[in-house]
Amino acid sequence: MHNMMRRATRVCTGAALLATALSSTGAWASYDDGKVFLTGGVFTVDGAGGGGAVPWATITGYETRDGINGGVGFTYANLPALQLTVIGAAIGFFDRLELSYAQHDLSLNLSNLDTVALVGALTEDLGVDLGTDPWNSTLKMDVYGAKLRLFGDAVYTSDSWIPQVAIGGLWKENSSEDLLHTLGAAESEDWEAYAAFTKVFFRYSTLVNLVARYTSANQIGLVGFGSCDGLEEGCSNDKEVRFEASVAHLVAKNTAIGFEYQQHGDNLDGRSINVGGLNLTGLTELLDTLSVDGLSNALQQKKESDWWDIFFAYAPNKKISFVVAYLMLGNISVAPDQNGFYFSTHLTF
Amino acid sequence: MKPGKSVTGALGAAMLIGAALAPAHASEQRTKPILGIDSAALAKFGGAQGVHNWVESLFYYIMLDNRINWIFKEFGNVERQIALNTQLEQMVLGGNVEYQGASMAAAHADLNITMAQFNAVVEAAYNACERNNISYYACNQLINALAPFTDDIVTH
Repeated sequence: MHNMMRRATRVCTGAALLATALSSTGAWASYDDGKVFLTGGVFTVDGAGGGGAVPWATITGYETRDGINGGVGFTYANLPALQLTVIGAAIGFFDRLELSYAQHDLSLNLSNLDTVALVGALTEDLGVDLGTDPWNSTLKMDVYGAKLRLFGDAVYTSDSWIPQVAIGGLWKENSSEDLLHTLGAAESEDWEAYAAFTKVFFRYSTLVNLVARYTSANQIGLVGFGSCDGLEEGCSNDKEVRFEASVAHLVAKNTAIGFEYQQHGDNLDGRSINVGGLNLTGLTELLDTLSVDGLSNALQQKKESDWWDIFFAYAPNKKISFVVAYLMLGNISVAPDQNGFYFSTHLTF
Repeated sequence: MKPGKSVTGALGAAMLIGAALAPAHASEQRTKPILGIDSAALAKFGGAQGVHNWVESLFYYIMLDNRINWIFKEFGNVERQIALNTQLEQMVLGGNVEYQGASMAAAHADLNITMAQFNAVVEAAYNACERNNISYYACNQLINALAPFTDDIVTH
């Protein structure tokens, strides 16, 4: 007992010494929160600084060119067929470089997918793992990001049309591989690259942001990347450039309203769910005996919709901001008309 | 506060006051924001007297802010700073006023102003608008008009 106490004291002393060393070496001397309200953006689902889904060219946090700042973010979105939770962190260095991380947990409550899960449970004897669980299928994804400001100042160059321009890269690792293959995706891990163009127009108290993203993602990667004709057969994963935009109108220095648009791809449009390469005739017969009608239609994925949202963002001070939004995400996999609410908070140091 | 900064600050102040007193002609031009300035902006500030009141509020908030108040104190002659700022703000908002001070670049060349200090003044500017019941939109017209000076002022 006495030894344990001494060891604990040593650990604490060590930690304190490390903290002192860090602060005296100047690592914290570069701390800076001199940026203007909300101009670092908030916490996107990709972890990058920006809006909710669309990144901005601004670097996250309240640091200026002379310092370091950053924060942690939490997002919860509730849609009829799914709930998404994202936690993450992002750090901005000298208003030039941004590093970010976000962790996604997506719970699906799709009755049609649950049916697949039931079939999966029935077929487990055949040695097929669909990655589904009756009544509770969860997708998990990690997103690592970096963003570099190339040139321009989004805020103060009111006498020039040149926006702030940044390029970014994201590495997305979806760890629900079996379920993604069931849903017809080619890859569970892939990279994306984007260029963002951001400018504040003080004349109209409005921020305008455009993004071109080079990606093959299905639903930002939550349903993987690319597509396959069969189960891991006839796969293709070709990236394309997609367009995104956001407009934020400031009604006060700390309050913004606006909308976002994000173009999505068509990799999985109209594809049936791959049930482990099973002979579908056999499956139909199996389902007939279970008196399940119209299953083939229910298991056909809808055309992937582009994402829209309208939002309200408020930053009472430089330590915290809140965003509430109404999401119009359209068809997601086998679930149509996914509209719902979004809440996000970003805590900056 | 760093001693080095104080010395350059005082030097800069001396130079600016010299420059400010010397020329009788305007040495700073009206800015040209790409989307222009709301033509009613000066009226929304309350005209010449309104702009003067706003500048007094601006300096009030600046003097409350320990990040920046020392710069303005070392610069000295706050009354003259207020008078010159009143001229400058009226001019950039479209008022028919002659600005008699030094150019922004000359006035700030040796002050080594950081982006964070500049943004602190912008925060004070918004606080002054709120205190003087000038709407956020009207306030942004002034920020729009002053923004092009950023590179001349922030030299750190």
